[in-house]
Parts: sequence; C-alpha cells; structure tokens
Amino acid sequence: VNDVTGMMAPMVGNVSAYFAPVNRVAGQATIFDAAQSGAFALNNPPAPWIGLGWIDGFARKCGTKIESVRTGAPSTTTFQARTEIEATVSFSFESWGKLQLALAAGTQQMNLLQVSTGSTPEGSGGAAVTAIVLQAGTTASVLQVGSAAATFVVGELVAVDVDYLTQIGFVGSGVSGAYVQSVLSDVDYVRRVTLNVGRIASIAMNGTAGSITLECPLVAGMPSANMKVSGVAGFCDREGSSFFQEWSAVFVGEGQQGERIIWHYPRLQAMSGVAETNLSGIGGYEKVQLSAAFRALPVIDPVDGQTVVCFRSYVASL
Amino acid sequence: VQNAKDTFYEVLRSRLVALNSYRTIVLRGVVRPGVLVEENELISAVDLPDCFRLRWAVMSVDAKCALPMVTFECAIDYETAGTAMNGGMDRGRALAAMDAELQSAGNATQRSSPKMNYAGLANGLAPVAMNTSIWWGEVAFGKTVIKDDRLARTATVVVMSYQEAGEL
Repeated sequence: VNDVTGMMAPMVGNVSAYFAPVNRVAGQATIFDAAQSGAFALNNPPAPWIGLGWIDGFARKCGTKIESVRTGAPSTTTFQARTEIEATVSFSFESWGKLQLALAAGTQQMNLLQVSTGSTPEGSGGAAVTAIVLQAGTTASVLQVGSAAATFVVGELVAVDVDYLTQIGFVGSGVSGAYVQSVLSDVDYVRRVTLNVGRIASIAMNGTAGSITLECPLVAGMPSANMKVSGVAGFCDREGSSFFQEWSAVFVGEGQQGERIIWHYPRLQAMSGVAETNLSGIGGYEKVQLSAAFRALPVIDPVDGQTVVCFRSYVASL
Repeated sequence: VQNAKDTFYEVLRSRLVALNSYRTIVLRGVVRPGVLVEENELISAVDLPDCFRLRWAVMSVDAKCALPMVTFECAIDYETAGTAMNGGMDRGRALAAMDAELQSAGNATQRSSPKMNYAGLANGLAPVAMNTSIWWGEVAFGKTVIKDDRLARTATVVVMSYQEAGEL
C-alpha cells in the first residue's frame, strides 16, 4: 500500500456497474472475489460479468436494525443484537440497452418480436413471424440460418432461444427472463422474454448457405440445437406482473490515486417498477435515464458461515 | 504545486500531439508542439494563434485532508484566423478543430496521471515519479470571442493534486 495515498479518502468520479446472472433454479449467485479480480480492467470484466457502463446517483442504504438489550434497574444496555439485516441500492443508468432496460424494468422485459402480417395488435407485441431454425456450425457469435439470412438486415436485433413447449417455472437461456406460472399458448414466449439477444454486425450469403454475425457473443454462449432466431423490433417494459429480476452485481468506484472501492451484491432483486429520471438539458430537452432500485438478498459467506447481503472491498493502489 | 502544473502540461501536450502532430509553433526559434504555458515564456504583446496557451488562474487549498489538496484552475486560451489560402473563411472550422482536439485530450476517460517532478531536467536528469497522482475535471468551454480577424475561446479545467510532504 502506498503509505502516502493509503490514508486519503478516495476521490471517485464515475461508478461503473457490472452484472452477472443468478441461477434462479439452483439459487446460485455469481460471486465476485475482489482478492482475485479486484484490479480487473474496467472495460474488460472477468466472465461472466457484463459491463453496463457508468451509473449516476449511486445510492446505498443500510436498513439493518440494531436493538439494545437492557437489563437491571435502572436499565442499562447489556449487549446489542442485529434484529434485521437490510440493504438497498438505487441508481440511474447512463446508457440504454437490453440489459439496462430489463434491470430497470424490475420484472420480465419483453422483446418486441417482428410480427406477422395482419396479426392482432397486442401491448407487448402481436403474433410473431415464424422463428428461424439454427443450423450446424452455429456459435455464440455466428448464427447459421441458411437462406433465411436474407430476411435480416445489418443492425437488426435478434432473440435466440428455445420454443415455448408448455414449460412451467423459470424460462430463458443464460439468464432467467421470466417465471411461467401456468401453461401458455405462445410458442414464441421464451424468445419474447429471453435476455439472449444480440445485434447483427454482418450478414454473409453464399447460395443457400447464410449466416449472421453478432456484434457480441450471446449471453447464454453457444446456442443449443433446439434454439431458434426471431427478429426483434425493440423492447417493451410493463408495469405489473409478478416476476422479479434477480442479478449479481458489482459496482466499482475508482479513486484518483489508483485505489478502488468495490461494492458487491451477490443477489440483488428489483424493488421498483418502470420509471425514468428526466434530467433537464440544454435547449429545452430532457435526458431520460433509466432508474433502478434493488433490495439485497442474503448469501452465506463460506469463510465463516455468516449471513450477509453485500460486500464492500477497498483495493489499495500499489 | 509546481509539479502538478508541470505534470498537467506534459500530459495535455502529449495527448494533443498524439491527436494532431501537425499543430506546431515556432517559439524562440524552435519548432515545438502547439501548446505552451504562458508563465513559462517571455512576455509577449502578441497572442500566438493556432496553439493552446495555458494560464494558471484561481488556486485554493483544502488543508483539512491528511495531505493538503490543492485545486488550481487552468485557463486554456486559443484563437485562429483560419488559413490565408482560404482568406480566413475557414476560421470557424479551424476553431472547431481546436475545440475537438482539446475536448478529446482533456475529457478522455483517464483524467488522472502520476505526478512527476521535472526539477532535475535543468541538470540533465530524468523526471521523477512522485507518490501521488494529479487529476482533473471536465473541460468547460467558454463563448466564442471575435478578435479582429480571429475567433478566440477560453476553456477552463480544474486540476487537483495532493501536496506531498516537503513539496514546494
């Protein structure tokens, strides 16, 4: 530790946010080890963490209650006990994207699948065009779709996931995008809620062989053989519904002397609905930021078996 | 304080050179990058055009910290008449190019740098890295001012540093 700067309060300009999926079925959070990875390059987080850019108005609140146990006459505090452990965190995203929208929405966030001609208008998108079957040779970044590649355009968003076949429970590959409580009839429902979404960087056509290359690898990695591709026109948030987004999160505030404050929440569950923060801008415009608020849920720290909801690490400069 | 001022100048100069190495000036007979610190040069009645002139302005000290934190406002003046080849009709574009260079150099994601002591340069010694880093805020751009045939602007940036023990 630099003995000169080690005693100075960190001067933090921007806070960066990173999220990773929680395995909802297994109840398994993604754990960040600041001892191993605390010095990671901010623009290249270790897998499976996904950088979601800078955040604004980062506010942590501690709701933990400490009660005193008093004895004697007159009574005096004999000891203290924590009766409730509670922590919340809120902020606004500086950038917009699928994951930012999903996290800010709090509940399942719908992909607006390209609709078939004449479909009945629906708030979260009408009946979708038939999804494209993935062919052999598909990877997390290159989707082999045959001659159907001609139906896509560069820059278009696509959702890649399995058909809905009356599953009950968590659905969505890579990240649970929703929880199905009762059987639905929409074969495209999983692709409607999946976070396995990418943007087309290029399209290659060679006769009937065609492929689309994505700007970034899919969150769920290499698609399975039973996944299909649907074009996405946009995204839709809904106020209501019962599902709660749950993610593991890391927030990094970098000091000016090379030190870092790392806040790690193994389990963050959404605690707000769909709302934005409008910041007054120049020329009569307003900057619309996605607001998000989360409640921290507990994990057991295997080091000593304690129940905790968040970790704050200080990684000193060398 | 002087080390922080020197370090900021060196960082800004190297970034500006990387962006546009063709922006040069001739000063005291030497061709050099188009950025200077006014207080380090001979007093001149003429403002050099097409270069960035750094001028250290308001200073304050927060002495409550374990190390005093010094805040210095750096005013960056620049002006241009455009090019003679275009009869000066490109002076707006030339000023916009300087705006873009300063914006890119000053507002880059990394707005901190290890503080260096350049005192040894006079004796042929290499600069020495100190224990702390300087850091600075976003560059704020002032209004466009018309100075005869030139367009001018002053941008300001707040530079901060810790005053280390024994540092003058």
